[in-house]
Amino acid sequence: MSDDRVGRVLGSEHTTTAEFRVVLEEEEYLQLDDLIVVRTEVPKVGEVRTYGVITEAEAVYEGAQYESDTHRIAELGIMPAAKVRTARVAVTRVDPEVWVSADPGEEVARATGEERRKALYADEMERPLPIGLGRDGAPVHVDLDFFDGRKGGHMSISGISGVATKTSFALFFLRMLTSAPEVVGSGAANLRVLVFNVKGEDLLWLDRPNRLFDAHEGAREAWSALGVGPAPFPSVRFWAPPRRQSGDVVVPDTGGRFEGVEVFSWTPRAFIDQDLLEFCFTDASDAKNQIPFIRERVQLQLKRWAVGVDGMPGAVALRDPAQAPDGHAWSRDDRIPATQADVVIADLPSLVRALEIHLEPDDGSEADPAWTARVMPGTVAAFLRRLHAASARLGHLIRADADRRIDRGAANVTVVAIQSLHEQAQRFVVGALLRETFKEKEDTGQRLPLSVIVLDELNKYAPREGTGPLKDMLIDIAQRGRSLGVLLVGAQQTASRVAPEVLENAAIRVTGRLDSAEAERAEYGWMLPSTRARARLLKPGTMVVSQPAIPVPLVVTFPFPPWATRKEEVADAGEDPFAGLT
Amino acid sequence: MAVGSIRRMARIFVEGWSPEYGAPLDPDEALAPAEGSVDTSIETEDWTPRDGIDDGVPRIAFVDGVRRVDARLTLDDPSGPVAGICGTFAVGAAVWDREAVRSWVAHERIGRWAVLAGGRSETFPVVALEPPYDTTTTPDTDPAGLIRTLHTKMRTAEGHVATAVAEDSFVIADGPLNELAPVPAVGSIKSHRVTYLPPERNAVVAALRPRQRTPLFTISEYRRYSWYVRLADLHGGHAWSGIVRCEASGQLPAAEVIRLADRTAAVLPLVASEPHLDPRAPQNLVPIAALERQLRHRMGEPGLVYRALREAVHERMAS
Repeated sequence: MSDDRVGRVLGSEHTTTAEFRVVLEEEEYLQLDDLIVVRTEVPKVGEVRTYGVITEAEAVYEGAQYESDTHRIAELGIMPAAKVRTARVAVTRVDPEVWVSADPGEEVARATGEERRKALYADEMERPLPIGLGRDGAPVHVDLDFFDGRKGGHMSISGISGVATKTSFALFFLRMLTSAPEVVGSGAANLRVLVFNVKGEDLLWLDRPNRLFDAHEGAREAWSALGVGPAPFPSVRFWAPPRRQSGDVVVPDTGGRFEGVEVFSWTPRAFIDQDLLEFCFTDASDAKNQIPFIRERVQLQLKRWAVGVDGMPGAVALRDPAQAPDGHAWSRDDRIPATQADVVIADLPSLVRALEIHLEPDDGSEADPAWTARVMPGTVAAFLRRLHAASARLGHLIRADADRRIDRGAANVTVVAIQSLHEQAQRFVVGALLRETFKEKEDTGQRLPLSVIVLDELNKYAPREGTGPLKDMLIDIAQRGRSLGVLLVGAQQTASRVAPEVLENAAIRVTGRLDSAEAERAEYGWMLPSTRARARLLKPGTMVVSQPAIPVPLVVTFPFPPWATRKEEVADAGEDPFAGLT
Repeated sequence: MAVGSIRRMARIFVEGWSPEYGAPLDPDEALAPAEGSVDTSIETEDWTPRDGIDDGVPRIAFVDGVRRVDARLTLDDPSGPVAGICGTFAVGAAVWDREAVRSWVAHERIGRWAVLAGGRSETFPVVALEPPYDTTTTPDTDPAGLIRTLHTKMRTAEGHVATAVAEDSFVIADGPLNELAPVPAVGSIKSHRVTYLPPERNAVVAALRPRQRTPLFTISEYRRYSWYVRLADLHGGHAWSGIVRCEASGQLPAAEVIRLADRTAAVLPLVASEPHLDPRAPQNLVPIAALERQLRHRMGEPGLVYRALREAVHERMAS
């Protein structure tokens, strides 16, 4: 103990169970985030150890009365004074759990080894997963029970953009998660991660080594301290929307990478069966007036009226279900020849055309109330207007030519590139995939295998204000996903713009650098005042992590990634930075 | 303590009213020499301001002490009440290492005394304080005499500190020298209640610039050398503001005292205080002020000391 002694508990002010200060020894120092332990002899109880983390370091000339005394002491030397250095400690734990404050004058020691584990509750975590490195270079853990739904679920990451911290951290976390089957436990092998690439093409190189990796000092050591080999993601599949106006040749709409990127699209059949029409109306204004009424009616009608077309597996036609064999609705196996169809629905424009026949007859006759749900004609017009707009923006995602469903089971990590899409189309894709994922789990009712969804710019999909199908679904995932094994890793620049229901359900909260005004908001109330003040100074690669198992937020760093995050970082084929590694 | 011995003694009471109540008194005034015949020819007949010379003395120690009356006592004697006081003093030195450009406090010493009037022989009970109270007595019966006794104890302690630090430092004492041995020490006196110099010589004091001094002079019967030093020009001050009188032991050779006088004229202005920070500026020297602050702190919290005193007296009564 005395070897690690750095100072004594300050006795000139009250110590509390939450906070106290340490007067440092002449030859010692404590910096922010250092971990310490104090042993206090408590009457009738015995020794109680108080563990804490340094939240502020301070120094003053004791004896200086006026500010100008500083010159007299330091420059002229004519005034006797003592330099006193202190550090402020936020208590993380008392062991045994007797909530008394540390005694003044007690020795304060650095917490190392087993004491460090105790200070960070690592000894109590049943499934500790490294989530970064502490100031001392040793791993800091998160209790996976609080992510995978056993005791809590979801993760929320905040931070200003441009520093690339949010996505980088999310990927780092995924790498740790997918590399730790022994911690994840049963179902680890089938762990599925769905990642949306919303900006640039940063995430399209996760499977490629980063040639700058070795130039980053300490990165290799850091990964080794975390117990993970510095390698790119071993199991990733990339999906991108088809490029528009590419004729019959379907190529992925990506800029830098084509090879290994598969094209995704939905057939009109899937569009109708999965109620994807809903996600064409995700704008906040779409929830106003009576548009949801007519939309719901149209979805219902489409399901009854849609019938297969001979020789075109993904396409459908609309025909009165009264003509169906059962006289009520068409089954999935019913087919009609293409020649009999009024309109063969092979894409979104043709679907809109087919709907117009019922909603806005050419002959000027009144629209069929079975389709319009008796909304005002103006609402019907507004509905069609929006559908036209959607058709222009995301029409190319609906194609009957082939089944290009995203196969989330093909790899551990599925990256869906939506950065090239219009915002409405992005919401459509996110909505469709979240629905699919969630529904799959709802149907099985099983928590395992876990399904992790990484979504940046969460404020776009689940904004604080307004309502919409996407927001409803994200709230649903946040509230019920935990028990179904659907876990959301949401990222946003400003947590204050995200629906509170989504944030509140995240058991693990992480922030990178924050705008100073943002850091003062109630959404960051889990941070200590000192951490908030620091949040605007955090460097890339440094995050504040809060988890239910530890009562104070911890500052951790995560190492430079061994996978490429830009085309320029991709190591040449001939050059293998991992040569020599076994 | 044996019960029998207590019986023979009068009971001591700690009074409830403020210990500082009573005649304010500066016993140092008594130490200032009376106006007498002054010899101004010790150093030179040429009575003009002389520039200070900084000989780069590496260490200067400023010696001072502070004291406090902790409680007033009353001895309940059949012949009538006898007064007493409990007092604490702290002495020490602020050592200025000019080469290392830093200062520290050294030779701190705390003394606690119970002073009884009328030559009484009672012993004050043991008080749970470190250091404990020693008991002394004075034939005086007036309250000022009690304080004077305490003050003398403090002055003696200051003298010990001065002798100790003089081994490796040039000593400047706050107030008149309490000379135990002829060491190269200088006393710095802030206030000027008596004018020693003849009027025409006083004009030289007024003419002093900062870092200048008068030639040496001696006051008869007071076996010390004296000289005046101007520390600073005070804005709006009179001719004597910013002046201190220094004195050195009369047992030192004159040549040595001249060297000390030159040194003080150069060095004292360096540690003069600023008027906006200290009402006694510039004469209240910065190291002295800091030292006094620390010494006051070291005497202990007065409320706690007072409580300990009452407790001790109460315990003895109960036993």
